[in-house]
Amino acid sequence: MAHREIFWNISHEYIMYVLSFIAVVFVAYAIYRHYKMWRMGKGDERSKNMGSRVWAFVKTGFADGLGHRRFLREPYPGIMHLLIFWGCVILLLAAAVDAITHYLVIPLEGSTYLWFSLVVDIAGILVLIGVILAITRRYIQKPERLNTFLDDGVILSLIAIVIITGYMIEGLRLAATEVNTNPDWALWSPVGLVFTKKTLFGGLSHDTILTLHSVLWWFHAVLVNGTIIYVALSYSKLQHIVISPLNAFFRNLGPVGAPAPIDMETAEVLGVGEIKDFTWKQLLDGDACTNCGRCQDVCPAWASGKPLSPRKLTQDIKTQWQKVANPKSNPPESLPPLIGGAIAEDEIWACTTCAACQQACPVFIEHIVKIIDMRRNLTMMQSKMPENIQLMLRNMQTRGHPWVGAQTLRLRGDWTSGLGLNTLAEDSNVDMLLWVGCTAALSDRNVEVTLALVRVLKAAGVSFGILGEDEPCCGDPARRAGYEIQFQTSVEQNIALLQGYNVKNIVATCPHCYNTFKNEYPKFGGSFNVVHHTQLIADLLKQDKIKLTCDLRSLATYHDPCYLGRYNSIYSEPRNILHAIPQLKLKEMERSHSKSFCCGGGGTHMWFEQQIGTKVNDIRTDEALKTNAEIVATACPYCLLMLEEAIQGKDLQQPLKAKDIAELVDQAMEKSA
Amino acid sequence: MHIIVCVKQIPDPEVPPAKFKIDPDTKKVMPPPGLPPVISVFDERAVELACRIKEKNPGTKITAITMGPGKVSDVVKHALAMGADEGIVLQDKAFEDSDSFGNAHILAKAIQKIGSYDLILCGRQAADWDIGQTGSILAETLGIPVVTVAKDIEVAGDKIKVSRVMEDGYEVVEAPLPCVVTVSNEVGLPRLPSGMGIIQAARKQVPAWTAADIGADPAKIGPAAAHSEITSLFIPTRDTTCEVITADTLAEAAVKLALKLRETKVV
Repeated sequence: MAHREIFWNISHEYIMYVLSFIAVVFVAYAIYRHYKMWRMGKGDERSKNMGSRVWAFVKTGFADGLGHRRFLREPYPGIMHLLIFWGCVILLLAAAVDAITHYLVIPLEGSTYLWFSLVVDIAGILVLIGVILAITRRYIQKPERLNTFLDDGVILSLIAIVIITGYMIEGLRLAATEVNTNPDWALWSPVGLVFTKKTLFGGLSHDTILTLHSVLWWFHAVLVNGTIIYVALSYSKLQHIVISPLNAFFRNLGPVGAPAPIDMETAEVLGVGEIKDFTWKQLLDGDACTNCGRCQDVCPAWASGKPLSPRKLTQDIKTQWQKVANPKSNPPESLPPLIGGAIAEDEIWACTTCAACQQACPVFIEHIVKIIDMRRNLTMMQSKMPENIQLMLRNMQTRGHPWVGAQTLRLRGDWTSGLGLNTLAEDSNVDMLLWVGCTAALSDRNVEVTLALVRVLKAAGVSFGILGEDEPCCGDPARRAGYEIQFQTSVEQNIALLQGYNVKNIVATCPHCYNTFKNEYPKFGGSFNVVHHTQLIADLLKQDKIKLTCDLRSLATYHDPCYLGRYNSIYSEPRNILHAIPQLKLKEMERSHSKSFCCGGGGTHMWFEQQIGTKVNDIRTDEALKTNAEIVATACPYCLLMLEEAIQGKDLQQPLKAKDIAELVDQAMEKSA
Repeated sequence: MHIIVCVKQIPDPEVPPAKFKIDPDTKKVMPPPGLPPVISVFDERAVELACRIKEKNPGTKITAITMGPGKVSDVVKHALAMGADEGIVLQDKAFEDSDSFGNAHILAKAIQKIGSYDLILCGRQAADWDIGQTGSILAETLGIPVVTVAKDIEVAGDKIKVSRVMEDGYEVVEAPLPCVVTVSNEVGLPRLPSGMGIIQAARKQVPAWTAADIGADPAKIGPAAAHSEITSLFIPTRDTTCEVITADTLAEAAVKLALKLRETKVV
């Protein structure tokens, strides 16, 4: 009967176990070494609540790990990795099955064995196809984001040689046995069959085949264990096989891009100024990075020619970390500083905190908080920051809002004049607080949106109040600039203010305020029920409290604000509203939803411009123009200003207007009212 | 080296004048409600300059001193957060409504109580009333030299070299210590208080001294001692009218516009 041959033709098999044992020792040493290096970092909350972490890992492991959800957003590299991954998994399982059946003397024979042979043969082919795809991509296509090192070539060659020698060994065994005795069985190992004596090894004597088989078998065994030892001892990226799933296990389960609060009473160092200021999870992040470059491809800073690449940033932190961890070969005095050395200040300020990198990363690396942590060190320890950031922060400190000079144009309560709106100071007995936000209260263009929203809310009969001139800044710009001390001061004051009026429900017009209230205030003891105005309007439409009867007869596209989309997964409500407007057709841009491209205004970039490269808002506006839409709708005051500025800067042949969704709703209900 | 910086709290000068109101009876300015008081912009530059001197001359001590009603300790805390070492608040009902001479007397008395000093920095003027006399009178009162409108100070032993702002550049003058220097906005953007600076400033105690504490002469302070009097106070109004020039051709319109501009003496 057909059955699995284990150690056929091989003697002294214990030597293989010695080899494997040596490999295991090296792997154990490597794990210990990495563990010690991660622990160079500070403590992190990630080590708490292991139960929910395990459950989250199991729940998403199938789609994200086994199913490669994030990889397959890009078909070529996605399929490439999927083939190598699944091929190797099957081959490893096959080895495990071999060991189990051999030592527990469970027979693997008959048709089960034949099917087993076929599956294992196919698995090897999957790996080889994957490796060929990888070699083609890395060495022929050479996409910009890939940076090739010796290690890349070494590991691809090792994988290919291991698989090919495996097939050769199989072929030689078949040549000596099944091909002669049971040719039917041999057909179940189609790839190995190529190497039988009828084809490649034709004309060899039986003894030669046996010798060749034995030599190749040992070569294969040494190669496999040698590969493992190479990976364990070097900083080869193949280490990601262990480290990346570990990083996925410890990934952020909380809000996107929310930095950890600093205890101002006890903190000795503010932010991250050197490697040991990172948390162990932040160091693990770097270790898990395989340099795949998906983050760089989606980064607005990189796309507009700024010095920041999230890939390079992660790799540079990793390199610095490895150097700091090995003081013998890298004496501390010879090391460049982390900030201004390994990482340039311009890189740190180029980030718009759009979170596209984090969404793209297949191993759940978090770039944003690391950048904010380094900004914290720059602003709070070193007092180093772009001049306009300093002006913005000074304004927040003295005037309670980030808009420098805006007070010569408007005061906070100015937009309310003549509207007869109820301030909470007059009557706090309302269903919800309309949190206008600094930009929507102070900038002329955004005030138009605020007024439109007020008309919509009034028409729908919503019971709401405002804070008027007493409304402070939510604190977000200070936090993204790394000036946590101002953020925490704002948060403390705002929570007291809101609790003083017994505020329960808040509707925010700005996704940045919305995100801060919803996701970042709870850590400071302020829990409010917060909605964004698109959510509220979508809900009012559903309840039939607003009737949209006026045709807009237009083609619109929708620009997803980062802090609404990627930060808070609000994708459908804005689109539902746009669909509800009569005769308004919606055409998506090439990049939309979670793949949406930043307007360029987030992460404090609303207040300063890096005079390097091109402008992010120009790139995004070109994408909107490609849809031939007449309206680019959005739902964020920053996006609106950034898109409008870019549109005005272009000499356009086609009409394109930037509008907030609230304005479109106001327009669509206007004539019916 | 001991530097004393005089700082004043004023209503935010970025607010348009039209937002202010005037009480005709007391002839006082009433800022709009909710307007945050800030450190006078020139005084903040004086603190900045003091911090720069301290960075270049280790061992320098900076004392920030302010006078005024209400929560003026905020501006001292701001100076402390920027890098000053100590702060003092001068607060007394008797100080209120003093003029520049009165203010200089109060400051001089306080500075004499502090005792040792090498350099006294003031803003070139307070950014609310823009009178610009207190610094000079203070020097007079203390009997030491004064250098006005400085943009940079270099310490050289017991002398300083001061870069004074001129209309078309700057001049460098030398003065012996101790002396008073009034500081201009050409110093540049003052530093943002560092996080550690704010934390440490919050922990520092700021003493408040009264007229009795410093031994101020009641005859020299308060409204009765003032050398000047406000007779009237008004908010400047700016009227703008818009005239659209119409003509059949652009060339004709341009001629009309040019004539109009000459007529109104704009060109």
